[in-house]
Amino acid sequence: MNPTYLIGLDGAVFSILDPLMEEGTMPFLKDFIASGVRAELLSTPNPLTPPAWISMITGRSPGNHGVFDFIWAEERKSDVYFTLYNYRDIQCETVWSIVSRQNGKVCSLNFPMTSPPPAVSGCIVPGLVSWKHLRLNTHPPELYERLKKLPGFNAKDLAWDFELEKNAARGVPHEEYENWIKFHIRRERHWFEILRYLMKNNPADLTSIVFDGIDKLLHIGWRFIHPDYFPSAPSAWEKKIRTLCLDYFRELDRFLAEIVKLAGPDSRIFIASDHGFGPSWEVFRVNSWLNSRGYLTWKDTSNLDEAEKKKVERLVERHFVHLDWDRTTAYARTVTSNGIYIRVARGPNQSGVPSDQYEAFRRRLISELKDIRDPETDERIIKRILTKEEAYPGAHNDQAPDLTLVMRDHGFVSILNKNPIVYKRPEIAGTHYPEGIFVASGPGIQRGASIRQLSIVDVAPTLLYSLGLEIPEDLEGRLPEEVFESTYLRDNPCRIGRPTMKVDTYALRTGGTAIDTEEEGKIMDKLKALGYIE
Amino acid sequence: MENEACKKKITKAEILKDIVGILEDMTSDWDMEFSGPIGPETRLMSDLEFESIDVVQFIVAIEERFKRRNMPFEELLMEDGRYVDEITVEDAVNFLYTHLQ
Repeated sequence: MNPTYLIGLDGAVFSILDPLMEEGTMPFLKDFIASGVRAELLSTPNPLTPPAWISMITGRSPGNHGVFDFIWAEERKSDVYFTLYNYRDIQCETVWSIVSRQNGKVCSLNFPMTSPPPAVSGCIVPGLVSWKHLRLNTHPPELYERLKKLPGFNAKDLAWDFELEKNAARGVPHEEYENWIKFHIRRERHWFEILRYLMKNNPADLTSIVFDGIDKLLHIGWRFIHPDYFPSAPSAWEKKIRTLCLDYFRELDRFLAEIVKLAGPDSRIFIASDHGFGPSWEVFRVNSWLNSRGYLTWKDTSNLDEAEKKKVERLVERHFVHLDWDRTTAYARTVTSNGIYIRVARGPNQSGVPSDQYEAFRRRLISELKDIRDPETDERIIKRILTKEEAYPGAHNDQAPDLTLVMRDHGFVSILNKNPIVYKRPEIAGTHYPEGIFVASGPGIQRGASIRQLSIVDVAPTLLYSLGLEIPEDLEGRLPEEVFESTYLRDNPCRIGRPTMKVDTYALRTGGTAIDTEEEGKIMDKLKALGYIE
Repeated sequence: MENEACKKKITKAEILKDIVGILEDMTSDWDMEFSGPIGPETRLMSDLEFESIDVVQFIVAIEERFKRRNMPFEELLMEDGRYVDEITVEDAVNFLYTHLQ
């Protein structure tokens, strides 16, 4: 197989990278792009880390691979039970599996949803895993002990420092910004060191890694990094934070340079992001709006004693769970799904919308959502409202929201019981935009080309073609031939092969793991720590 | 092999051995004050310092070990509509003994 690399840059966007390349912060990336191809990469309908990365490495859309969010949830009895998505929830074969079963070796570092790790031929060190569980979720099992012997190895730096990230996401004291950015610089170095070690000692046919610090920096630091948003007369602290952010990108550029150098001239390197980024200036409190329209009722807490009330208040601050289900027909389950779930009655005399009235109910809800307008400009707050069939067609869309909301600033919704319904942020924040990046360079790849937008599902067939493998006929993505030189394409015609293999169906979830409201609150804290909720 | 073991009516002693093995493996580098050994009376939260994410990982490990994902873990985690503050190893063994048969 032809050595192929996928370097994931979570949240990378050209509107940030281009100025950094121009001003000399990322000289390697500038030269690398000049030596290859660049394109925008369109993310999943809700441009979110789990569904987007899984689409990239399966070549399938979320309606088929079945991952829509960080959180998997199910209504049971009188409550909603939560757990976290993991690798076993991915309903389509990944490129790592496709390569492995054709006798190739793979390396996967820091990809979300790769725990528990599948038994691929090669190495997996998962992302989004606490340091306490990194060892047991590393594949092969003995790899972790080898990594521990690397100079300076520190699992706590490699995995998540939840406390630091939680503090950073909560409206932070200025001094914590600095620690938080430095943490991510350290963390990227750790992942880079592991990659370098594995490239030398366990070379793979398909080597893949995610560097996720860009996403973490842009969520809180958009206004420091994007030149249009940085103040013309910055304070000393603002200058310091911008300098630190640029240090991060300078360091990342050095890692990219060394990876490409180590990979050698015979390798093809693909750099891609799961989604882009852009500014967010407002928050739509969707559950409060649903409440105001009579679709959602918060649970009455007036009969509770003070201790219980405080407990509920804490939970409601974290999440929406305290709903009166008998008087709720539509609700937003998580911030990150940016979606509304319609509660369909499970039978006669059950709460929820009767199934024969679902379509009419949904149409009415869409119509009312369209009417939410900015009082000053009359502009619609919600740019697009996608039904489940529009956003997530496929065989595994049962966990998908009935309606997916695309806000005018692409911001995440709020699910808290607060007013006003549309809240203006005091400071511009970064949020996920659909247009990420795709960059490629290496033998047979066009030089200096800027091509039209690709889809995130095109990455998997591109990697397989680069490796010299057939592209399974059931991938939804296409091979973007414009990435490659015509002579290379002529000599190496694209081969479409047998469909992907069915994933292990023992893992099909029928129950899920119940998490109590306190537990769920802690998971919400984890997501808050990741920067995805308020 | 695991599925074969389940079909042969797994005993509580076998389940206990597996659960203790999972927990010993999981916590072996956690820097806890608890010095063990892990046994039926060991408390996940108080002794092993489990947090919510650790419970999620523990359940995933159980599901992987026994190749089952449809067990109603809420029966282990909830009591009278409220979630329990503590789970012992014995609680987990009894739960699995009921649901693996």
